[in-house]
Amino acid sequence: MAVAVETLRPHHTIWGDALIRLRRNRLAVVGVTFILLLALGAMLVPYVSPYPWDRQNYNIILQNPSWAHPFGTDNLGRDVITRLLYGARTSLQVGIFTQIIVVLVGIPIGAIAAAAGGRMDNIIMRFVDVMYAFPDLLLIILVRAILGPSIYMLFLAIGLVAWVNVARLVRGQILSLKQRDFITAARAMGASGPYITLRHLLPNSIGPVIVVLTFNVPRAIFAEAALSYIGIGANTPSWGTMIRDGYEVIFAAPHLVAFPALAVGILMLSFTFLGDGLRDALDPRLRR
Amino acid sequence: MTALLQVRNLSTYFHTQDGVVKAVDGVYYEVAKGETIALVGESGCGKTVSALSILRLIPEPPGKIVSGEVLFEGTDLLKLSQEEMRKVRGAEIAMIFQEPMTSLNPVLTIGRQISEALELHQQMTKQDAYKEALRLLELVGIPQAERRARDYPHQFSGGMRQRVMIAMAISCRPKLLIADEPTTAVDVTIQAQLLELVRGITRELGTSLILITHNLGVVARYARRVYVMYAGRIVEHGTAQAVYHDPQHPYTVGLLSSVPRLDEPRKTHLSTIEGQPPDLIFPPSGCPFHPRCAYAIPKCSKDRPELMEVEPAHYSACWVALQKPTPWKKIS
Amino acid sequence: MEKNILIEVKDLTKYFPITSGLIFQRIVAHVKAVDGVTFSIGKGETLGLVGESGCGKTTVGKCILQLYRPTSGSILFEDKDLCTLSENELRPLRQKLQVIFQDPYESLNPRFTAADIIGEPLRIHGTATGKAYRERVAELLDIVGLAPYMAERYPHEFSGGQRQRLGIARALALQPSFIVCDEPISALDVSIQAQIINLLGTLQDKFGIAYLFISHDLSVVRHISDRVAVMYLGKIMEISDRTELYKSPLHPYTQVLLSAVPIPDPEVEAQHVPIVLKGEVPTPINPPSGCVFHPRCPKAFEPCPTVIPALRDAGGGHQVACLLYSTSWP
Repeated sequence: MAVAVETLRPHHTIWGDALIRLRRNRLAVVGVTFILLLALGAMLVPYVSPYPWDRQNYNIILQNPSWAHPFGTDNLGRDVITRLLYGARTSLQVGIFTQIIVVLVGIPIGAIAAAAGGRMDNIIMRFVDVMYAFPDLLLIILVRAILGPSIYMLFLAIGLVAWVNVARLVRGQILSLKQRDFITAARAMGASGPYITLRHLLPNSIGPVIVVLTFNVPRAIFAEAALSYIGIGANTPSWGTMIRDGYEVIFAAPHLVAFPALAVGILMLSFTFLGDGLRDALDPRLRR
Repeated sequence: MTALLQVRNLSTYFHTQDGVVKAVDGVYYEVAKGETIALVGESGCGKTVSALSILRLIPEPPGKIVSGEVLFEGTDLLKLSQEEMRKVRGAEIAMIFQEPMTSLNPVLTIGRQISEALELHQQMTKQDAYKEALRLLELVGIPQAERRARDYPHQFSGGMRQRVMIAMAISCRPKLLIADEPTTAVDVTIQAQLLELVRGITRELGTSLILITHNLGVVARYARRVYVMYAGRIVEHGTAQAVYHDPQHPYTVGLLSSVPRLDEPRKTHLSTIEGQPPDLIFPPSGCPFHPRCAYAIPKCSKDRPELMEVEPAHYSACWVALQKPTPWKKIS
Repeated sequence: MEKNILIEVKDLTKYFPITSGLIFQRIVAHVKAVDGVTFSIGKGETLGLVGESGCGKTTVGKCILQLYRPTSGSILFEDKDLCTLSENELRPLRQKLQVIFQDPYESLNPRFTAADIIGEPLRIHGTATGKAYRERVAELLDIVGLAPYMAERYPHEFSGGQRQRLGIARALALQPSFIVCDEPISALDVSIQAQIINLLGTLQDKFGIAYLFISHDLSVVRHISDRVAVMYLGKIMEISDRTELYKSPLHPYTQVLLSAVPIPDPEVEAQHVPIVLKGEVPTPINPPSGCVFHPRCPKAFEPCPTVIPALRDAGGGHQVACLLYSTSWP
């Protein structure tokens, strides 16, 4: 009898359960939809747009939005929406690749500090503190100066600034998880330190890390736009570069600043909505 | 005796991701002036939610009091405005919680916390309120009250914090005190101290007491009447004497016989209630206890029994209890 | 009798240092969690360890399992002193020494399925693989009374009692000879407690496992234990055969504890006046001199604040650490 009662409730895995809760969050769904549409546009733009991103046409400079050029043209007669979608490639790439660097650097460093403990932990975390205190912009300019102006170096530079938060988070998560009885249980079974870290500690700290990574993306996107704006960013089409170029003719053609600025804003907001949704969805406290 | 508090057909539901949890589902109970009653049941049976509903402290959403009346000296508390309700809380009805640390403000000294409530509710001056706070701390047996009043909550032990909570609760001389598992977080010797203290104070001030607990021993020691809750409903109620010696609901029978007793010879095997507590989103049909009940008859899975007077002043929500003698009586 | 001893704890002491200072840490004091505890547990026997929170009973359990390295003393198991072994040397012995925790939610990895949880010890020690592994997991589920279809569920989908059954199945996986049960039922509902107590009893009869049953509930300890030890502030106050201890408790602290337990019967309670102790348990950082219980003891007399009572046999294996029962003191 008791068995029959139990099967009434649907059975979900942890991730399945999180997905259900994420789908109930309207803002998160809006955010994800925008991100996916933008990614799709960025991928397809070479095939659907009639204009290459760099084709200049001096007959149609600084045109307002029209059917032929829905977002208008810039001061060299280039199609703004095409450039915007190419710029989205840069922005999304920056968002994703910097987070890969953050994951590759931040998680191991945080995990090692927490797992080792004692003096090792102390040394690593003081280094992290120094990195944290170091001015981001200065570090990025230094990295760019040393490693050159390639877009990949830009990812690296932004990533090397952003890993610190994740390292701290992972360390904190693991330190608190270490106090839990299931870790004690694993130790009592004779599990080794690396096994406990990889099988128990890291998988259980991954939820908050995903949330922080999602919040990191808009920051990286903004950082790229800002760097491009001051002229040390990407040499490919970039929203930051577009804003800078448009700024020179802002009174003649305000749409040249407005569209890329809007794009930056909406994309950042989308990732923030997604991050908020993920935070609620992945929080195991809501379901117990 | 006149009833100080009457809870009638109270239902409180929670809306969750998985469905509607009927945490409290048509509950009746009453407390007379100066009387101590006990709400007994296991976690999730709705005993705490019903008490929080009395004070309208249910977080809304996800919770909602969907029906019922809470008559306190004849006034329905569920119909009061927020402002009027605030005057009832603390002043007329006070509550002691299980975990005193979370109900104390960590950045205020103990003396300030008590005196602040007095200034608020009793319109006392600052000096008078502080003096009264010291008197209360002494009353609840905190040694060196004057010095300890300047300490912060984290400097108190669990038992001492619970004494502070008691002092705060009685500061406005409420007519009704609700103690929600007041001794679950403390040790047996401290439990004895605290409960003796609460008993002494309620007797002296003539305060009524609702004792919410899962500890059958504590109920036997302190309560005059007992309400047994299961799956959001009262399943049995009567005097402690009657409920313990002639239980009229198989759940009560199961509870009483599953607890090892120090005053009886040791048994080799404890009798148990089989199965797991019900899922309140998908409660069993008919009587919510029937899947675990050793005495269930076909009717039990179809019709939900309401509370019926099966013995004089002894109520049970059980179809089988209508049979005389009850089948469990023959066994024990 | 000697031959049947499984675990022998001798003069076990565990002090936790309290440090101060940000960079140059120095030890300013010690929490004397366990202070010279000696007892033994026979094969297939249950020793109940009772006391109030902070008395050191959980620390004793963790020291036996070497989850805490004791400050001093020895723990003999299978002719080896566990305290002297390295983590690698301990690993094979850990199969024989298992643990069940108080909070069954805290003690299960929320991202593991029931089968992953139960099978983890088998995987760690490489005891069984493939078909044998799956069969053993299924068998363990059955032993603790869970249905086969529950194997793929996650901890949050189980009720408290079922989670505790998972914890028990995990502890049984490697066929241990000894399990530390650390308050295994105090987080469970009353109606579920009896189920788990009965299960622990059945498993002991079936597999001959010895338990150290740590609890603050004296009624439950009486039910499940063969012998009972009472701890207060890191020391054993009294240790005896179960029947003897509950029938004629010698130590004033044991008497107070027993008197404080409310009996679930209003008639009995109406007659019963509990001995209410004054004050609270002192801090283990700076425990009282002499007998640690003397400031609260209703029967303390003049030597108590100065003389530390040793645990002595008061006849028939009933040991008590109280000056009332010692004929002379230095």
